[in-house]
Amino acid sequence: MSLPERYRVLALSAAKHDYVPLAFKDHPRFQVVGVSDEPSAAGWVHECNERLAADLGVPYEPGVDAAIARHQPHVAVVSSEAARHAQLSVRAANAGLHVVQDKPMAPAVADCDAIVEAVERAGVRFLLWNRNTQPAIEEARRIVHAGEIGEPRAIHVDFFFCKDAGVLLNSDEPEEIPDSWLSEGELTVEGIYPLAYMRHILGLDALRAFGRASAHFFRRHAERGVEDIATVSLEMERGVIGSLCSGRIGRPSHPNIGELRIHVVGSTGALVIAEPRPEVAVHTRGLAPDDDRNRRTDQETDRRQVDHFVAALDTGGDTLLTARHGRHIVATVAAALESARTGRSCEVSRPS
Amino acid sequence: MIRLALVGCGRNAPALVAAAAESDHCELTVAVDIDARAAGSVARAANSMRHVGNLESLLASGGADVDAVIVNTPNDSHADIAAIAIAAGKHVLVEKPLALSADEAGEVRQAAERADVRLMVAHTLRFMHANIQVSRALAAGELGKPGMLRSHRWLRRFPGPPGGWKHDSARSGGLCLHEGVHEIDQALWLIDERPTHVHALAGPELLQIHLGYASGAMAICGIATGLPLGSGYYSLALIGSLGAAYADDHHNVHLVFRGGRPQAALTDLRASAVRAQLDEFAQAITEGRDPSVSGADAVAALQIAEAAAASVASGQTAHLTENGYVLA
Repeated sequence: MSLPERYRVLALSAAKHDYVPLAFKDHPRFQVVGVSDEPSAAGWVHECNERLAADLGVPYEPGVDAAIARHQPHVAVVSSEAARHAQLSVRAANAGLHVVQDKPMAPAVADCDAIVEAVERAGVRFLLWNRNTQPAIEEARRIVHAGEIGEPRAIHVDFFFCKDAGVLLNSDEPEEIPDSWLSEGELTVEGIYPLAYMRHILGLDALRAFGRASAHFFRRHAERGVEDIATVSLEMERGVIGSLCSGRIGRPSHPNIGELRIHVVGSTGALVIAEPRPEVAVHTRGLAPDDDRNRRTDQETDRRQVDHFVAALDTGGDTLLTARHGRHIVATVAAALESARTGRSCEVSRPS
Repeated sequence: MIRLALVGCGRNAPALVAAAAESDHCELTVAVDIDARAAGSVARAANSMRHVGNLESLLASGGADVDAVIVNTPNDSHADIAAIAIAAGKHVLVEKPLALSADEAGEVRQAAERADVRLMVAHTLRFMHANIQVSRALAAGELGKPGMLRSHRWLRRFPGPPGGWKHDSARSGGLCLHEGVHEIDQALWLIDERPTHVHALAGPELLQIHLGYASGAMAICGIATGLPLGSGYYSLALIGSLGAAYADDHHNVHLVFRGGRPQAALTDLRASAVRAQLDEFAQAITEGRDPSVSGADAVAALQIAEAAAASVASGQTAHLTENGYVLA
């Protein structure tokens, strides 16, 4: 069977981020044909979807089944609220569409299992959107896989996200963010990135997790009983030790997006990688306090991820982060948070 | 000027000799080692210093030229040598760990209190300049309430033949007591709260200690002892409710170009940290006060190090109690 010259892409919701569907906009092997969503989606979601459709120059057509029937897409790009990820991804897979999905894969491991089952039964490719194609991450992977530091023994990832989430804990000030704000906890939402780094660099999964988590900074997190910082110790395959420090730690805590680093210890050497580098520092009078001073020089990170996805579609090979990988990351986060609740290390569940 | 006897003239001795030579508060007067060649070598390096074969003979002769003793011997002899010096009324600076168990360390501490001598333990991370800046920012309230401490410390592979005492856990106490106690003391110092949970993992030349606190704070510290010969590496991040501090070799690295790949180079300030530690010990003696790293601090760190070792051995988490820990 000949490969399509261009894969047709249908964006299913842009409630969370528009950068996932926009990554396909100008790629020569893709054609974004429309934006769709459930008619029952919230009003603000429809507004997001309409804006995305305008940016892409395609129609916004509520009604997923009808849009699939009309456009006959090859690929669905799902960036809805996390609670609807599984529903939309399973629906797309059942319709025979390959799926690219925003993070987190789903709020619950059972939802991820449903996605895994659907994409494997349909024989379609699934990509969980990630940041693994950043130059520093690719360089770390290359160094490790070339054996330059020997056999990997430990990997440590710091993933501090230096933005605020409303007013501080114990503040008397009125809350700045609306009740509709969707945070499910920082490890839950952002843990995919550092855990995906570990998997990409070493090719190993976590087996057990010990976690600590707390709402240390922001009142909204404390009210919702979700974490803004977390630390996780991991027992990984092949006896490798892992650790993760993650969290939203407040704008004043770093001059840029945050301290994003990877430490790898091998049997004959070790490696320290700053994830955002290479970058350029820009300091001007016009910058607002929230503007990043350091700017990444690489502009092709998303493009490389999409290129890799094309290769997976063309060859039937694995994507950079498959449904099973994504499911394992959600299970690892779940084990860490369960550990934080119980004070005991927890096994990372495997698909039944 | 506090006059010091250096007991143990092995690997750390040159750094102590150099630090004492730079100090305005103390001087080395006697080198003590059963290896006469090692003691003689240190004595020559320190010019006017004399050397003897053991502490007992030095003290039996009155030890009139000694106000205090530095215990720089293998770990399994720390407590005994400290006890001998304390019994003779000498102040003591002991390499870490103070003893091979918290109970034994507690006995040394009590002996020092009874004898009214100053007891300090060489938890040198507290004297690293970068860490001092972090501590000052914390004390000034700039960082708010500590929430997360993350550190990495990578060391060169233990030197010496495989039969050396550092390779023998019965003599060194194992990695949790020999090295992990540094990170534990650092966490106790900066977070200033006794943890409730200790979960530790170990691998070949690796240790990871994860601490949880009732306040919601957390600490995770990694130690690697198998780096190829060359420089070590140190990194610390302290995230507080109002800000964060990063003390980190990676930020401070210089690049050297000599063909091939550029090489990293660090300005090594460890020597001045050792001197600051010696100065603190000497000034505490002079001022008749407890040193900033007390025997009580050392006992507290050892209690948690023992819990970490039990966690490693059992694969379980140590839940700290008032007097010990329970594994679960």
